[in-house]
Amino acid sequence: MVFLRRAEPPQSSSALAAASATQSSSGFLPGALVDRPRLSARDISVYYADVQAITNVSMDVAQHEILALIGPSGCGKTTLLRTFNRMNDSVRGCRVTGNVIFDGEPIYRKGVDPVALRARMGIVFQKPNPFPKSIYDNVAYGPRLHGLVDRQAELDEVVEASLQRTGLWNEVKDRLHKPALSLSGGQQQRLCIARTIAIAPEIILMDEPCSALDPIATARIESLMRELARNHSIIIVTHNMQQAARVSDRTAYFHEGHLIEIGTTDQIFTTPEQSLTEDYITGRYG
Amino acid sequence: MMQFDKHTSAQYNAELEAARKNLMQMGGLVEQQVEDAVNALTEMDTELARKVMSTDDNVNEMEIDIDEECTRILARRHPAASDLRFIIAVTKAVNDLERMGDEAAKIARHTLELADAGASATHVIDINMIGDQVRLMVQQALDAFARLDADSALRVLQQDKIVDEEYGAAIRALISDMSQDPASINRALGVMWSLRSLERIGDHARNVAESVIYLVKGKDVRHKKVEQVEAQLKG
Repeated sequence: MVFLRRAEPPQSSSALAAASATQSSSGFLPGALVDRPRLSARDISVYYADVQAITNVSMDVAQHEILALIGPSGCGKTTLLRTFNRMNDSVRGCRVTGNVIFDGEPIYRKGVDPVALRARMGIVFQKPNPFPKSIYDNVAYGPRLHGLVDRQAELDEVVEASLQRTGLWNEVKDRLHKPALSLSGGQQQRLCIARTIAIAPEIILMDEPCSALDPIATARIESLMRELARNHSIIIVTHNMQQAARVSDRTAYFHEGHLIEIGTTDQIFTTPEQSLTEDYITGRYG
Repeated sequence: MMQFDKHTSAQYNAELEAARKNLMQMGGLVEQQVEDAVNALTEMDTELARKVMSTDDNVNEMEIDIDEECTRILARRHPAASDLRFIIAVTKAVNDLERMGDEAAKIARHTLELADAGASATHVIDINMIGDQVRLMVQQALDAFARLDADSALRVLQQDKIVDEEYGAAIRALISDMSQDPASINRALGVMWSLRSLERIGDHARNVAESVIYLVKGKDVRHKKVEQVEAQLKG
């Protein structure tokens, strides 16, 4: 398999250490930090013009973990997800303060190329959004765009490996040059995931990836997520609490832009510490 | 404070409330069964002993009904956090209550056997004290469940330790009686089996109390010494 660039996170990072030092005086939530994080948010606040959508969120994402972000609509979980790969840059009036540190580097520093960043941090959206191209071209798009392969044979290999890993290969290998839009919803979503992993991102962001899928297609994606977590960290925003409970290693609960509680999924779903978390996951919210 | 009536879904509130109400009803029935079993034995009341045995069928039916209710809630509602702990605690408590009912029925059976063997109330007077304590434990454990009170549940655990000690002393006394008066062996054995059943009822009450602590505090305190549980609840 040709997977490119796999930067191991540094043993210690001065930027991270500095951020941690300033934050530790104000205190982190228990369970927010991990050893050797892949990604760290430090004191992140996000504003849409005058409206504050996220308030002082600090947390880590570990290597090879699936982290679920849950909370009621408008709690800021999708905003935070989009902050991680600077997708909010294109939103007019959006302002981000604080630090996001990815493999030791602050991503909001001047000179960081958001496009290059997004190649290392792929995103899968709620609605499958394949390009109106062939199945093959969808998966080949990223590696071509980022110039990750030199030869056609190499590209074929990346496309096949990506489709294999999403369990789609056997279903599409005889019609690789048919339009992607001819696939079923579940297949399209797996194609989008194949497109994402074709550029070997270190982190995969998922924004409600199964909300448009039936239970079988959902189960396929969830099983795939577990498989992908061997090589990637996954951050998933989901409204489906059973899904968070099923697939994630840790769960973070957000409420009105604040990170209320973060911990192992087992702990959050059996003995949450905060009453806000308890009310939400037991359906007492609102 | 845990509240089981604040879900957005009123139907869900009603389902949890029904499970709670039925558990309490079953608890009331078992509590009465234990009380009747002890009274039947200490007063050699064979009629009451038969009533205890026949009540067991009702208790068994309630066990099945409540378990079905809990299975339905698990399947349809996917309870989490305190709701999940509640359903787990109910299914465990139901199981313990059913076993208490079985032990009460056993005591009733021994009563009939002792009566057949011509035992009189004086032969079984020793059982009164342990009987009272165990009855109180059952009552307190159910009370702790109804009020979601971990402190009351802890008191049940403390009492179980005392019952275990008294049970040991009573058994030693019976063995000494038997060795002095071999003619009493048959009757003494009947009393001994009944004491054993009472001690087991105490253990089941302790289990219910442990389920209450799990429900309220989210802490698993099974297989721990009372002192360890006390420390765990303080910490």
